Amino acid sequence: MDKNIYKPIEAVVEKVITETSNIKTFVLKPEEEILFKTGQFIELTVPGFGEGPFTPSSSPYETDRIEVTIMDVGKLTGKLHAMKQGAKVGIRGPYGNGYPVEQFYNKEVLILGGGVGMAPLRSFLLTLLKESERFKKIILCYGSKTPGDVVYKDSFPTWKKEKNLRILRSVDKADKGWKETEGLVTVLLDKVKPNLKNGVAIVCGPPIMMKFGTFKLLEVGYKPEQIYLSMERNMSCGLGKCGHCGLGKYYVCKDGPVFTYDMIKDIPEVWA
Amino acid sequence: MSIYYLTKNSWKRLLSGLTETCDIYVLKECNGSLSYELLVKESLSSDEIVFGGVRAVQSVKSFFHLYAEDVSKVKSQPRKRIIVGVKACDLTALAVMDKMFMEGDCVDPFYKMKRDNTVIITSDCTKPNNYCFCTLLGNKPYSEKGFDLNISQSKDGFIVEVGSDKGKALVDGNRSIFGGEAKENLNEDRVKSREKVLEKVKQINAEFNLKAGFWNDLSKKHNSPGWKTESEMCVECGACTNVCPSCYCFLLADIPGKDDFSRMKYQDSCQYSGYARVAGGASPRPEIHERFRNRYLCKYEYRPASLDLVACTGCGRCIEACQGKIDKRKVLAGILKK
Repeated sequence: MDKNIYKPIEAVVEKVITETSNIKTFVLKPEEEILFKTGQFIELTVPGFGEGPFTPSSSPYETDRIEVTIMDVGKLTGKLHAMKQGAKVGIRGPYGNGYPVEQFYNKEVLILGGGVGMAPLRSFLLTLLKESERFKKIILCYGSKTPGDVVYKDSFPTWKKEKNLRILRSVDKADKGWKETEGLVTVLLDKVKPNLKNGVAIVCGPPIMMKFGTFKLLEVGYKPEQIYLSMERNMSCGLGKCGHCGLGKYYVCKDGPVFTYDMIKDIPEVWA
Repeated sequence: MSIYYLTKNSWKRLLSGLTETCDIYVLKECNGSLSYELLVKESLSSDEIVFGGVRAVQSVKSFFHLYAEDVSKVKSQPRKRIIVGVKACDLTALAVMDKMFMEGDCVDPFYKMKRDNTVIITSDCTKPNNYCFCTLLGNKPYSEKGFDLNISQSKDGFIVEVGSDKGKALVDGNRSIFGGEAKENLNEDRVKSREKVLEKVKQINAEFNLKAGFWNDLSKKHNSPGWKTESEMCVECGACTNVCPSCYCFLLADIPGKDDFSRMKYQDSCQYSGYARVAGGASPRPEIHERFRNRYLCKYEYRPASLDLVACTGCGRCIEACQGKIDKRKVLAGILKK
């Protein structure tokens, strides 16, 4: 008999890390090893309640645990936020294509992230840093609403020590303690002189930021095929069957979630 | 493949015998439409069973892709199933379902198990209704491939064509009834009746200026104002997608209170406003005309691109079921003309 593709693997919440007032990172230990490529996503189940797609925020090189960073925005994420250490969850996946990291070798990689969109980008960044000498340069432009909304606060000091990595951060609304840029994340792009000839840009964030981030990158001079977007859709089955994540002829869960802007720019309803 | 001739009585004798080991579904008339019903031996003696006619009210997908199904555990089906009287439009649509659920790197075990366990006996459409438009899609009201057995009414019996190994096994298992292959050339008769029905469907659709391949032009019409005007009567009931033989969208939902990952799979519809909603409440298709357009583009542009199949076979159920009396043929003709 064929395998039940709809049944999750059991996992335990090993640790809950509070990132901000509405974002938490959950460290999950699955019963069976789940190997993923950075940028792929999982379906995370709250038993008896429901499941939703989340992209791991941990490094794919960490194979016995998976971390997911989740913002409390609705019913399922609310239930997840109420979970304590030791709680049981389910995982299906990994699904989707992930970032084509090998294609970025010897290129400048500019990462443009907003809010909790930093979650998949942390996994991606950790993957690049594992072999950072393979990339010409890594630039991280990260924007949050306020200084209090910055995720992975503990990781930034370590990342700042990385030789091949430049970090620029902005907040929409600064407070007295904020010494970095104030403004939307797109203003950071005016501060970098990107290598347009030999570079790629990776974007992830809330839908509105993805849209204007992409437009800004185009304005700066990136070509649509140089811009990689981690698309947000309602990936329900994760298997390319249930239809919910349709994006033109693609299913984001199977053909994505990572697309170059070139692949999707002519599809109606690209931006949610 | 082989062709046999069975008298009506022999055909009924065959079905009667098969009821011992199989669940057989046949077409019966109900309020002017045809509907699948489980065959009980006794009803074979009456004339209630319709072997030709038009496609049933419910599409054949309802046997494989259920409105609601427990997908917690794969269970085998105890009895084999035979569905008799499936029309060509539904069979063609089943190819879309098969591709979605049984091909590629992951197979839906619930769909596949039911599909493997079922013999499909198609029959030539003899009474197309005013909603039928298979010919606009370049399809025919009779099946030429993909069936297990196909029956065409002829004289006082049926021309039975074998279309698959499953069909052949059924014939081989009932040799005493089937006898040898038909010696007489029955094809001339069949061609004539088929042509007659084909012409009728063409006639029904003569007013719509659409030719097979029309869907290739839809990619230039994404921004047509027609999507807005044509969707004015849509009430988002989702009937069109529910009755569609090739709409496969579904939703997984955990069973409340169970902590063993038991879950249900429900049919869903891209016409509902919550369908594509993402975390935080945003939707790529917040407007009704965007959802309306999505159904057309999915069928005529996206699936041809991803599956190499047009996901509409002209059964016309969506037109018949529409609460707003929206006629898909008029919508398409209108949008492509402008």
